[in-house]
Amino acid sequence: MFVTGRIFALGMLVAVWIFILGGMELAKRTMPTFRKLAGLDAIPEMVGRAAETGKPVHFTTGLGELHTNMASQLIAGLSVLSYVSELCAKDGVKIIYTVYQSQVMPIATELMKAAYTSAGKAEEFDADDQVRYLSGEQFAYAAAVQGIAERERPAANIMIGPFYAESMLFAETFYRIGSIQLAGTARGYQIPFFAVVCDYLLIAEEIYAASAYLSKDPILAGSLRGQDVAKLLALVLMIIGVILTALGSSVLNNLLKM
Amino acid sequence: MSVLYRRNIPIAIVFVTVLFFLWDFFVTVPGINTKSASTILTNWGTILTAFTLGFGAVNLFMLHGKHISRRTKGQWPFSLWMLIIIALFTVVGVSTGATSSQYSWLYNSSYFALSATVYSSLGFYMTSGIYRALRAKNIESGLLLIVGIIALARNAPALVAAFPIIVPWEAWISAVPTTSAQRGIMIGAALGTLALGLRTMIGRETGFLGKLTEAERG
Repeated sequence: MFVTGRIFALGMLVAVWIFILGGMELAKRTMPTFRKLAGLDAIPEMVGRAAETGKPVHFTTGLGELHTNMASQLIAGLSVLSYVSELCAKDGVKIIYTVYQSQVMPIATELMKAAYTSAGKAEEFDADDQVRYLSGEQFAYAAAVQGIAERERPAANIMIGPFYAESMLFAETFYRIGSIQLAGTARGYQIPFFAVVCDYLLIAEEIYAASAYLSKDPILAGSLRGQDVAKLLALVLMIIGVILTALGSSVLNNLLKM
Repeated sequence: MSVLYRRNIPIAIVFVTVLFFLWDFFVTVPGINTKSASTILTNWGTILTAFTLGFGAVNLFMLHGKHISRRTKGQWPFSLWMLIIIALFTVVGVSTGATSSQYSWLYNSSYFALSATVYSSLGFYMTSGIYRALRAKNIESGLLLIVGIIALARNAPALVAAFPIIVPWEAWISAVPTTSAQRGIMIGAALGTLALGLRTMIGRETGFLGKLTEAERG
């Protein structure tokens, strides 16, 4: 019935979901506390700086696609896009969202329109100019973003999603034009590039926590508490695994292969 | 109607699709082949993606058409050039086929070469980034400086020949602290994905649906 080799993984998936759902239930009674995420706290300041200088804010979700395993990072980026769009609408700052995958365009357009409507500035939203499809080819997209950076000189650059080789092209170009930068990705190879160039960084799981952090919704926050319990479980399993392997036992190894 | 259209239907689609793919991944029922159904669903995604390319093309023509008609300073010649190239690729692609030698020549001698050029320029961006990063301003950046110098030296054959001790140093840095940190990040990201997936499935994560009102959020 169950696929051999995936039974333990299924068990872990169910366990993690139970922790998360439990965390959400608990959060209805007591709101969990967050540790500070400087990158997300800096967003209003970034938009404020754009308002002062009269320059736009640039936002990208990288090479995120909806039908690949990078979809979750894209979804996380879109949640932040919604928040930033509303802030920009309130402050009268133009936000430019550059699109790599055309499938994201209608979603982003709806999302930004809703954010502008929520801020009471629906008439100020210009979809053709603010949601720009550039290219579905990696380096054509990268070159186009660099072009926008050089020509329109955004005061702030926010990059949240999956990034590949273009990460450094973006980060360096926006650094050179003096943009304040926030970057977040769960792609391990690109995190060091962002870490050395950008002003603020969201590392891996922090991008998934962004919507909960920004909305301050207790139930979403509760899911993070459940996630932390799951992290503890992973840690305990690793320690047990190290001890058992050191003692010459392959019990845990066999369990993982179930 | 608004709640149904804006929230309930999209979430129901996500819920059913996720359950289906989970079933397909973890469960196998003799006599029932869910693989073909999951392939069909994946193909739907590809078809939808191809369809949305039309939106992208319309957006490009609208935006750059405006730049050309308004003669936007520093922009309109590039916009015009881009539209000419789109038209050229479309005409050659439609008339000769995307696998024809003409189309391949056009692609390889323009985009392919330009793409390689942009990729190569990465080396210069990395150099300037590293130049700024490798400065001992505090303990963390000091550590980064030391590790960076060891890694750079390990990849310089002359330095390896002069100081062979850096080979095991770099190997230890790569295998122990770097790998363990990467794995920690990977586990955190995987759990974050699971939590986001569950929140999306049960309709708590609605960021991708845009700004919902309290009533719509439920």
